[in-house]
Amino acid sequence: MLFRILDPQTKANQFWRDFDRLNDELTRSILDSQFGSSSHFPPVNVYTKEDEALVTCLLPGMETDQIEINVKDNMLSLHGKKKAEELAEGTEVHRREIFHGEFHRTLELPFRVNQEQVSAKYSNGVLSIHLPRREEDKPKKVSISVG
Amino acid sequence: MNALTKENKQELIDKTESKDSKPQVRVYSPNVDVYETEDAILFRVEMPGVDETSVEITIEKDQLQLEGKFQISEEGRGQVRLAEYKEGNYFRRFTIGKAINSEKAVAKMKNGILELSLPKMEPKKTKIEIQRT
Repeated sequence: MLFRILDPQTKANQFWRDFDRLNDELTRSILDSQFGSSSHFPPVNVYTKEDEALVTCLLPGMETDQIEINVKDNMLSLHGKKKAEELAEGTEVHRREIFHGEFHRTLELPFRVNQEQVSAKYSNGVLSIHLPRREEDKPKKVSISVG
Repeated sequence: MNALTKENKQELIDKTESKDSKPQVRVYSPNVDVYETEDAILFRVEMPGVDETSVEITIEKDQLQLEGKFQISEEGRGQVRLAEYKEGNYFRRFTIGKAINSEKAVAKMKNGILELSLPKMEPKKTKIEIQRT
Protein backbone atom coordinates (compact mmCIF):
# COMPACT_ATOMS: atom_id res chain seq x y z
CA MET A 1 0.00 0.00 0.00
CA LEU A 2 1.30 3.47 -0.88
CA PHE A 3 1.07 6.37 1.55
CA ARG A 4 1.26 9.95 0.41
CA ILE A 5 2.85 12.00 3.14
CA LEU A 6 1.62 15.60 3.19
CA ASP A 7 4.23 17.92 4.61
CA PRO A 8 2.49 21.09 5.87
CA GLN A 9 5.73 23.09 5.55
CA THR A 10 6.06 22.22 1.87
CA LYS A 11 2.44 23.19 1.31
CA ALA A 12 2.98 26.53 3.06
CA ASN A 13 6.12 27.22 1.01
CA GLN A 14 4.28 26.49 -2.20
CA PHE A 15 1.48 28.84 -1.13
CA TRP A 16 3.91 31.72 -0.43
CA ARG A 17 5.73 31.09 -3.71
CA ASP A 18 2.45 31.34 -5.60
CA PHE A 19 1.43 34.37 -3.55
CA ASP A 20 4.73 36.18 -4.29
CA ARG A 21 4.44 35.45 -8.00
CA LEU A 22 0.82 36.62 -8.24
CA ASN A 23 1.56 39.73 -6.19
CA ASP A 24 4.50 40.59 -8.47
CA GLU A 25 2.46 40.09 -11.62
CA LEU A 26 -0.44 42.14 -10.28
CA THR A 27 1.80 45.03 -9.17
CA ARG A 28 3.55 45.08 -12.53
CA SER A 29 0.31 45.08 -14.52
CA ILE A 30 -1.20 47.87 -12.39
CA LEU A 31 1.91 50.05 -12.69
CA ASP A 32 2.16 49.44 -16.42
CA SER A 33 -1.48 50.39 -16.95
CA GLN A 34 -1.13 53.54 -14.81
CA PHE A 35 2.25 54.86 -15.85
CA GLY A 36 3.03 52.95 -19.01
CA SER A 37 5.90 50.53 -19.19
CA SER A 38 9.12 52.29 -18.27
CA SER A 39 11.25 49.53 -19.70
CA HIS A 40 12.04 51.55 -22.82
CA PHE A 41 12.40 54.73 -20.84
CA PRO A 42 15.39 54.67 -18.47
CA PRO A 43 15.03 57.06 -15.51
CA VAL A 44 17.07 60.24 -15.62
CA ASN A 45 18.19 62.95 -13.19
CA VAL A 46 19.22 66.39 -14.42
CA TYR A 47 21.30 68.89 -12.42
CA THR A 48 22.43 72.33 -13.60
CA LYS A 49 25.10 74.78 -12.57
CA GLU A 50 25.95 78.16 -14.07
CA ASP A 51 28.47 76.69 -16.49
CA GLU A 52 27.33 73.09 -17.05
CA ALA A 53 24.60 70.48 -16.78
CA LEU A 54 24.96 66.97 -15.40
CA VAL A 55 22.64 64.23 -16.63
CA THR A 56 22.66 60.85 -14.88
CA CYS A 57 20.76 57.83 -16.15
CA LEU A 58 20.16 54.34 -14.75
CA LEU A 59 21.27 51.86 -17.41
CA PRO A 60 22.28 48.60 -15.73
CA GLY A 61 23.86 45.76 -17.66
CA MET A 62 25.15 47.77 -20.61
CA GLU A 63 28.50 47.93 -22.34
CA THR A 64 29.77 51.40 -23.25
CA ASP A 65 29.75 50.61 -26.97
CA GLN A 66 26.01 49.89 -26.75
CA ILE A 67 25.18 53.45 -25.64
CA GLU A 68 24.93 56.33 -28.11
CA ILE A 69 24.91 59.93 -26.91
CA ASN A 70 24.04 62.80 -29.25
CA VAL A 71 24.03 66.49 -28.44
CA LYS A 72 22.77 69.30 -30.62
CA ASP A 73 22.24 72.83 -29.31
CA ASN A 74 20.21 72.23 -26.15
CA MET A 75 18.95 68.74 -27.01
CA LEU A 76 20.47 65.60 -25.59
CA SER A 77 19.46 62.23 -26.93
CA LEU A 78 20.35 58.81 -25.53
CA HIS A 79 19.94 55.68 -27.56
CA GLY A 80 21.01 52.12 -26.96
CA LYS A 81 20.34 48.49 -27.52
CA LYS A 82 20.63 45.94 -24.76
CA LYS A 83 21.32 42.44 -25.99
CA ALA A 84 19.65 39.46 -24.42
CA GLU A 85 21.97 37.25 -22.43
CA GLU A 86 23.06 34.14 -24.29
CA LEU A 87 22.11 31.03 -22.39
CA ALA A 88 23.94 27.73 -22.46
CA GLU A 89 22.11 24.77 -23.91
CA GLY A 90 19.85 23.07 -21.41
CA THR A 91 19.38 26.19 -19.27
CA GLU A 92 15.89 26.47 -17.87
CA VAL A 93 14.40 29.98 -17.57
CA HIS A 94 12.36 30.45 -14.39
CA ARG A 95 11.93 34.22 -14.44
CA ARG A 96 12.90 36.92 -16.93
CA GLU A 97 12.17 40.48 -15.84
CA ILE A 98 15.26 42.32 -17.07
CA PHE A 99 14.53 44.36 -20.18
CA HIS A 100 16.37 43.63 -23.42
CA GLY A 101 15.97 45.65 -26.57
CA GLU A 102 16.15 49.26 -27.71
CA PHE A 103 15.63 52.37 -25.64
CA HIS A 104 15.52 56.02 -26.60
CA ARG A 105 15.35 59.15 -24.54
CA THR A 106 15.51 62.83 -25.52
CA LEU A 107 15.94 65.69 -23.07
CA GLU A 108 15.79 69.44 -23.48
CA LEU A 109 18.42 71.31 -21.50
CA PRO A 110 17.99 74.89 -20.26
CA PHE A 111 20.97 76.12 -22.33
CA ARG A 112 22.94 75.29 -25.48
CA VAL A 113 25.84 72.90 -25.01
CA ASN A 114 29.45 73.06 -26.15
CA GLN A 115 29.41 69.78 -28.08
CA GLU A 116 33.20 69.53 -28.24
CA GLN A 117 33.58 69.33 -24.48
CA VAL A 118 30.86 66.85 -23.55
CA SER A 119 32.20 63.97 -21.45
CA ALA A 120 30.52 60.78 -20.24
CA LYS A 121 31.31 58.11 -17.66
CA TYR A 122 29.66 54.75 -17.00
CA SER A 123 30.02 53.22 -13.55
CA ASN A 124 27.97 50.62 -11.60
CA GLY A 125 25.26 50.77 -14.27
CA VAL A 126 24.86 54.55 -14.02
CA LEU A 127 25.68 56.81 -16.97
CA SER A 128 26.85 60.35 -16.08
CA ILE A 129 27.14 63.00 -18.79
CA HIS A 130 28.77 66.38 -18.21
CA LEU A 131 27.48 69.00 -20.64
CA PRO A 132 29.37 72.32 -20.52
CA ARG A 133 27.43 75.43 -21.42
CA ARG A 134 28.34 77.22 -24.62
CA GLU A 135 30.62 80.18 -23.94
CA GLU A 136 28.40 82.72 -25.70
CA ASP A 137 25.39 81.54 -23.66
CA LYS A 138 27.06 81.95 -20.29
CA PRO A 139 25.70 84.82 -18.24
CA LYS A 140 27.96 87.86 -18.48
CA LYS A 141 28.59 90.24 -15.68
CA VAL A 142 28.27 93.87 -16.59
CA SER A 143 30.32 96.27 -14.55
CA ILE A 144 28.66 99.55 -13.76
CA SER A 145 30.84 102.60 -14.02
CA VAL A 146 30.38 105.42 -11.59
CA GLY A 147 29.28 108.53 -13.40
CA MET B 1 15.71 49.87 -15.65
CA ASN B 2 12.36 49.67 -13.98
CA ALA B 3 13.24 51.98 -11.11
CA LEU B 4 10.91 54.70 -12.37
CA THR B 5 7.83 52.59 -11.92
CA LYS B 6 9.17 51.30 -8.62
CA GLU B 7 9.62 54.89 -7.53
CA ASN B 8 6.08 55.74 -8.57
CA LYS B 9 4.92 52.75 -6.59
CA GLN B 10 6.79 54.07 -3.58
CA GLU B 11 5.23 57.50 -4.07
CA LEU B 12 1.80 55.89 -4.07
CA ILE B 13 2.68 54.24 -0.78
CA ASP B 14 4.02 57.55 0.57
CA LYS B 15 0.79 59.32 -0.34
CA THR B 16 -1.31 56.82 1.53
CA GLU B 17 0.67 57.36 4.72
CA SER B 18 -0.35 60.03 7.19
CA LYS B 19 1.45 63.37 7.07
CA ASP B 20 2.80 62.85 10.57
CA SER B 21 4.67 59.67 9.70
CA LYS B 22 8.43 59.94 9.32
CA PRO B 23 9.86 59.84 5.80
CA GLN B 24 10.88 56.28 5.00
CA VAL B 25 13.77 55.00 2.94
CA ARG B 26 12.62 54.12 -0.54
CA VAL B 27 12.59 50.41 -1.21
CA TYR B 28 12.92 49.35 -4.82
CA SER B 29 12.04 45.87 -6.01
CA PRO B 30 14.77 45.17 -8.59
CA ASN B 31 14.18 43.22 -11.80
CA VAL B 32 15.49 39.68 -11.62
CA ASP B 33 16.26 36.90 -14.10
CA VAL B 34 16.39 33.38 -12.67
CA TYR B 35 17.90 30.49 -14.59
CA GLU B 36 18.62 26.91 -13.73
CA THR B 37 21.32 24.73 -15.19
CA GLU B 38 22.15 21.13 -14.39
CA ASP B 39 24.50 22.19 -11.59
CA ALA B 40 23.28 25.54 -10.30
CA ILE B 41 20.56 28.15 -9.91
CA LEU B 42 21.59 31.51 -11.36
CA PHE B 43 20.26 34.95 -10.43
CA ARG B 44 20.83 38.22 -12.30
CA VAL B 45 19.59 41.23 -10.36
CA GLU B 46 19.46 44.82 -11.61
CA MET B 47 20.98 47.11 -8.99
CA PRO B 48 22.21 50.23 -10.78
CA GLY B 49 24.15 52.66 -8.59
CA VAL B 50 25.07 50.01 -6.04
CA ASP B 51 28.67 49.41 -5.12
CA GLU B 52 29.63 45.77 -4.50
CA THR B 53 30.54 46.62 -0.88
CA SER B 54 26.95 47.61 -0.09
CA VAL B 55 25.33 44.39 -1.36
CA GLU B 56 24.06 41.88 1.18
CA ILE B 57 23.11 38.34 0.24
CA THR B 58 21.59 36.15 2.93
CA ILE B 59 20.60 32.51 2.60
CA GLU B 60 18.68 30.99 5.48
CA LYS B 61 17.09 27.59 5.04
CA ASP B 62 15.27 27.97 1.72
CA GLN B 63 15.05 31.78 1.85
CA LEU B 64 17.31 33.91 -0.29
CA GLN B 65 17.38 37.61 0.52
CA LEU B 66 19.08 40.20 -1.69
CA GLU B 67 19.73 43.75 -0.54
CA GLY B 68 21.69 46.68 -1.89
CA LYS B 69 22.07 50.31 -0.85
CA PHE B 70 21.85 52.95 -3.52
CA GLN B 71 23.34 56.25 -2.44
CA ILE B 72 23.60 59.41 -4.50
CA SER B 73 25.84 62.26 -3.46
CA GLU B 74 24.17 65.38 -4.80
CA GLU B 75 26.82 67.62 -3.32
CA GLY B 76 28.38 69.86 -5.95
CA ARG B 77 26.05 68.66 -8.67
CA GLY B 78 24.09 71.88 -8.84
CA GLN B 79 20.39 72.60 -8.95
CA VAL B 80 18.07 69.62 -9.34
CA ARG B 81 16.03 70.13 -12.53
CA LEU B 82 14.63 66.64 -12.88
CA ALA B 83 14.70 63.75 -10.40
CA GLU B 84 13.15 60.57 -11.76
CA TYR B 85 15.01 58.37 -9.32
CA LYS B 86 16.16 58.84 -5.77
CA GLU B 87 18.43 56.93 -3.48
CA GLY B 88 17.07 53.99 -1.57
CA ASN B 89 17.44 50.30 -0.92
CA TYR B 90 16.96 47.43 -3.32
CA PHE B 91 15.28 44.47 -1.71
CA ARG B 92 14.04 41.12 -3.00
CA ARG B 93 13.35 37.79 -1.34
CA PHE B 94 12.98 34.35 -2.92
CA THR B 95 12.09 30.87 -1.75
CA ILE B 96 14.41 28.32 -3.26
CA GLY B 97 12.68 25.03 -3.85
CA LYS B 98 15.85 23.01 -4.38
CA ALA B 99 18.66 22.04 -2.01
CA ILE B 100 21.64 24.28 -2.66
CA ASN B 101 25.16 24.41 -1.31
CA SER B 102 25.20 27.96 0.05
CA GLU B 103 28.86 27.68 1.10
CA LYS B 104 29.87 27.44 -2.54
CA ALA B 105 27.73 30.35 -3.69
CA VAL B 106 29.53 32.84 -5.95
CA ALA B 107 28.47 36.46 -6.45
CA LYS B 108 29.85 39.35 -8.47
CA MET B 109 28.73 42.81 -9.55
CA LYS B 110 29.13 43.90 -13.14
CA ASN B 111 27.80 47.16 -14.60
CA GLY B 112 25.07 47.45 -11.98
CA ILE B 113 23.98 43.81 -12.25
CA LEU B 114 24.44 41.36 -9.41
CA GLU B 115 25.24 37.88 -10.70
CA LEU B 116 24.73 35.11 -8.19
CA SER B 117 25.34 31.41 -8.69
CA LEU B 118 24.00 28.91 -6.17
CA PRO B 119 25.39 25.41 -6.81
CA LYS B 120 22.94 22.59 -6.27
CA MET B 121 23.63 20.11 -3.53
CA GLU B 122 24.98 16.85 -4.88
CA PRO B 123 22.60 14.02 -4.03
CA LYS B 124 23.96 11.81 -1.27
CA LYS B 125 24.67 8.30 -2.42
CA THR B 126 24.35 5.66 0.23
CA LYS B 127 24.65 2.05 -0.65
CA ILE B 128 22.58 -0.15 1.60
CA GLU B 129 23.71 -3.68 2.04
CA ILE B 130 20.97 -6.27 2.20
CA GLN B 131 21.47 -8.56 5.14
CA ARG B 132 21.36 -12.22 4.55
CA THR B 133 19.23 -14.17 6.93
